[in-house]
Amino acid sequence: MIVLNNISLQLKGFRLRDITLRIAPGEYRILLGPTGSGKTVLLETIAGLHMPQSGSIFLHDRNITNTTPENRNIGVVYQDYCLFPHLTVFDNIAFGLNLQKKTRSEIAHMVDEMAGFLNINHLLKRTQQYLSGGECQRVALARTLVLKPSLLLLDEPLSAVDRLTRNHLRSELQRIHRELGLAVLHVTHDVSEAFLLGDTMTVMRDGKIEQDGTPDGIFQKPATRFVAELLGIKNFLPVIIMTGSVLEVQGLGKIHSTESFFAETTQEGGRYIALFPDWAVELSPARTPSAYFWQGSATIKKIRYTDNMVQVVLETVGNMPIFTSFSRREMNGLAENLTSGSSIQAGILQQGVHLLSEDLSPL
Amino acid sequence: MKTFTPVFSALAVLLLVLLTTPIVNMVISSPPALLRSTLLDQEVLHAIILTLKTALWATLSGFLLGIPLAYILARWSFPGKSFLQGLVDLPIMIPHTAMGVALLMVYGKKFLIGSLFSKIGISFVGTEVGISLAMAYVSLPFLVNAARDGFLAVNPRLEAVARTLGASPWQTFFKVTLPLARRAILTGAIMMWARGISEFGAVVILAYHPMVAPILIWERFESYGLAYARPVASLLIIICLLIFAVLRWLSGRSREV
Repeated sequence: MIVLNNISLQLKGFRLRDITLRIAPGEYRILLGPTGSGKTVLLETIAGLHMPQSGSIFLHDRNITNTTPENRNIGVVYQDYCLFPHLTVFDNIAFGLNLQKKTRSEIAHMVDEMAGFLNINHLLKRTQQYLSGGECQRVALARTLVLKPSLLLLDEPLSAVDRLTRNHLRSELQRIHRELGLAVLHVTHDVSEAFLLGDTMTVMRDGKIEQDGTPDGIFQKPATRFVAELLGIKNFLPVIIMTGSVLEVQGLGKIHSTESFFAETTQEGGRYIALFPDWAVELSPARTPSAYFWQGSATIKKIRYTDNMVQVVLETVGNMPIFTSFSRREMNGLAENLTSGSSIQAGILQQGVHLLSEDLSPL
Repeated sequence: MKTFTPVFSALAVLLLVLLTTPIVNMVISSPPALLRSTLLDQEVLHAIILTLKTALWATLSGFLLGIPLAYILARWSFPGKSFLQGLVDLPIMIPHTAMGVALLMVYGKKFLIGSLFSKIGISFVGTEVGISLAMAYVSLPFLVNAARDGFLAVNPRLEAVARTLGASPWQTFFKVTLPLARRAILTGAIMMWARGISEFGAVVILAYHPMVAPILIWERFESYGLAYARPVASLLIIICLLIFAVLRWLSGRSREV
């Protein structure tokens, strides 16, 4: 178990503010945030590469706040692999074992075992210049894992490789986590990576923790507009809570909602933002009316096709854009053909709508 | 586009011709028999060996003191860093005779450091130690700057990873940073040695005797004329050329490892 208590750190032009975090044994935690939010600095602070100005770090009840990196037993794998270019793959993996003064046969055995675990036996005599990106990342993982770290820190480990390799490495990370039962803190700005790998997720912004929870929980109820936008949510509509169960939604008009929806809000007359993800917007809605937050006519403004998906921008009668996307298979199941400029019935599912008490100032 | 390659090639060839003409002319105008007899001249031989040796000592001391400074300049951020960098480059800018005078006023027997060292029997004026000292002062920027650039080229994250893999700062430096910067450091060391060999101004003030090759060439030119200075100069050039060709080849090989 690693526990961070109120960690603050000032670096040149950047600071971490009051970070409190807990990673349980065997937990796979995602650290999500945009570039410059402090993810890597936090990772390096946990590894001991930066000393916090205040707060404390405990690893298995041992205070390691002022412990040097070499005495923490925390492994780091960077996006750019950071293999030692003057050493072979074998010597890279053996680097930490050599420092532990293990015998040559012990080192050979441990390197072979780890190389077998990561399927890189055939690469042991090569140097970095003769490895692909995916192979480099496996070697970097092997070099760290062979030391049996208490915590594995991954700094965007999949962002420097091609899509195919990324998919393979994702599965590999899942297998490593499953078979070794390691606690992992994985920095990324890739939302799909967060959902595929993470048990838990922490969202960072400007050196602070913005939200903490499970990936799905955060996606369902983002605490701020920033978190919602980071997760790819594009639909934000200004809302005023009227009397009773009536909402005035900009672009949609007056909406009669259910009691359960109001449980989230506290103030009648208050201004909020209704946010909802793409999946909550249905074309040609066919469920019972009570399932929808809103139903009505909209104009198709734009249709864009990606490899598997179709992205559609609608415009409501009140001139508000609504974004939705669905698979090509779902598109084929639609009763109506989608053409730009045509009118279509749309619905916003009640279960996808979440109210935020936040201003609409641009981020 | 059509003119780019010929123009650049022509300008490069022109510069090479300008650079090499005086040297080649001097070497080929010295008959082999004269070179051979010069080589057998004990005074010449002694001066050349002394030059190579003292420049080597200067370079080795440069390693000890210059590498840490180069690392600090590459890795640390602190107020006054630019000023410190300027100080390192100072010997390149000021006349070397001025540097010789400055050294004499510190390392001379009557002056601050010189008087302290003379108490333990070390003198800088007119000694091999003094020659090495003068050479080191004027040639250190070559090693420090090359080593600093070499350290800058090493990704600091490699050092960070080494620390997380259990390496102390010393182990990280000797197992990761230094091996990765070695080519730049070797190049800097070769440059420093070469600059030390060619040093005249600072050495002539601090240690006229024992005579290094550049001073011997100057003395023969002053006392006997061009004909006596030329073979010594030619011999020094040939020997240095051979040594540096081998060193460059070796440092080139180390890059491929």
